[in-house]
Amino acid sequence: MNPALRAQVLVGAAIVSALALAGIYLAAGGSSYAPEKSQDPCHHRAWSNPEGLQEIANQFSISALDGAACQLGVTRETLARALATPEARERFSERYGIDDAKLARAIRAGLVRAVDDAEEAGALSPLIAGPLRATVEEIPLDQAIELVQNARSILDSASSFLGPAGELLEEFLP
Amino acid sequence: MSAATPRPRVAALALAVGLVLADSSVVILALPDIYRDLDTSIAGVTWVLISFNLVMALAAVPAALLARRVGPARAAAVGLAIFAGAGLACGIADNLSTLILARCVQALGGAAAVTAALELLPASVGSERRATAIWATAGATGAALGPAVGGILTELVSWQSIFLIQVPVALAAAVPILAVAKHEAATGVLRTEVRRTGRPHLAANIALAMVSAAIAAALFLLVLLLIEGWRLTPIGAAVVVTVMPLAAILGSRLSPLVPSARARAAAGAILVSGGLGGLALLPKAEVALTLPPQILVGVGLALVLSALTETALGGRAPQAIHGGWTISARHAGVVIGLLALTPIFTADIAQQRDDAINAGTAVILDSKVNPLIKIDLAQKIEDRLEGETGKVPTLGPAFEPLPSDPGDRADVEQLRDELQEQLNRGATHAFSPSFGLAALLGLLALIPIGLSRRVEL
Repeated sequence: MNPALRAQVLVGAAIVSALALAGIYLAAGGSSYAPEKSQDPCHHRAWSNPEGLQEIANQFSISALDGAACQLGVTRETLARALATPEARERFSERYGIDDAKLARAIRAGLVRAVDDAEEAGALSPLIAGPLRATVEEIPLDQAIELVQNARSILDSASSFLGPAGELLEEFLP
Repeated sequence: MSAATPRPRVAALALAVGLVLADSSVVILALPDIYRDLDTSIAGVTWVLISFNLVMALAAVPAALLARRVGPARAAAVGLAIFAGAGLACGIADNLSTLILARCVQALGGAAAVTAALELLPASVGSERRATAIWATAGATGAALGPAVGGILTELVSWQSIFLIQVPVALAAAVPILAVAKHEAATGVLRTEVRRTGRPHLAANIALAMVSAAIAAALFLLVLLLIEGWRLTPIGAAVVVTVMPLAAILGSRLSPLVPSARARAAAGAILVSGGLGGLALLPKAEVALTLPPQILVGVGLALVLSALTETALGGRAPQAIHGGWTISARHAGVVIGLLALTPIFTADIAQQRDDAINAGTAVILDSKVNPLIKIDLAQKIEDRLEGETGKVPTLGPAFEPLPSDPGDRADVEQLRDELQEQLNRGATHAFSPSFGLAALLGLLALIPIGLSRRVEL
């Protein structure tokens, strides 16, 4: 092979190798290997046929977080982590300039949205939804955070919030 | 120069060149440890690497001029002594400023030793062309082996050992050179009169700078991805990046088969860019997937660095000064690559870290595990995130201890794996734009390589 041809073969082989590698990696999903994007919390998230108290509680929590995050203009994931510890809440308040009153309003709004979503999904009877909605609109911030974190408690111990209506809870839950 | 027999002298000179040029990359695998030990930032620790390369870039040509004035053997011996002393200072430095200052002094000594070596080699091997080949090969071998050696030392001993071990090696290399220096002084032969032929080869040196920027980025970013992103140990990362020098050996065997330096330079630049492009498009966080890109970069760097160095030095004199220009171009390229890519990379990693954590939190929120376990996990994850700001966090310990209930345990293990997958995605994706830009830099080197036909090659 003459030197000029060798030079052409070398450059040609380099181009083919580089393009082949890029093509194979692209075909294997190389351009889309990234973390999944957070969903818009203001976008309605359909409940997926919840069965049993724990699943209802999970979806209730997520709806509440979505509702509150939408009000605050953050992702529900950021809000969930912010509510994990008092220190995290403090850092969140500083970073986003959100005081306790604003946070409380947003979380209550989130809980109301969760009750609406639960009712719409048929997971909560309208008879329970009404008083529950009225209750969550008034509860203090710390209690509201507790409810978002563990919605089961609102369903388990609804009697303490609902008074006489609480006894009907188990009966009306699907 | 009959003071020492040629073979040990050549070995000492090659060792000196390899040692000094290895230093431009030897700390790459130690950076994460230095970063943690000296409690600094990614941008700050990068200066341990940048400072050495910047001073090398600035000092190479003046050092070559000085070597010709005071005598190359004396310059090489003194340079190696300074290099060794500064290496000792690096090894005992307990803060970032001292370490960076010592690295600058190390580069000053190194620049004198490397450029003077090129002046001394022709007399020792009897041929300017062979001297250039030995000099270029020693430098490329040192630069390619540096990260692996640094990684192994960091893992087995400490990052400080990288510098401390250089002290006896540099002094050992200085001994045979010192004998030549004494001979120089005794005979009064302090400088050699040689013809001056031509200005520095602009196209080849510009191409060298661009390709070196791309290669530095390849090494630096890959090591950070492996250690900080995918959590490999330094020794594990050292084993992985050894593929690059091994491929470089293969590339150096291809070189003699193709006489055209321009073709070798072009093919090398394309392979380096192709490898970097592959690293920018990694489809999964798996070490095996880094191997084909590394092979392309390794073969490419051997082809392109030797071809461009050969072109820059070919038919030019004094060799030390033109060699100084190539050293200057290469290290300037490393500095440009690191300075241009580090801010992009640090911004990307912060963004991807947040995205990955959000994605991981979403996985936990959407899971069907017991809400009490979710709350506990959220609290532990938040605590770990607070302790690991600005980097890819290690969240595995947040899942310990695993629940005793077998059902809950399986759910939590699955959550942990899914969260880790999101972190891997984030870390890998954070490096993509920087690898992509480095690939572009390598491709842009084709312009001066192409122009060099008309300029001079």
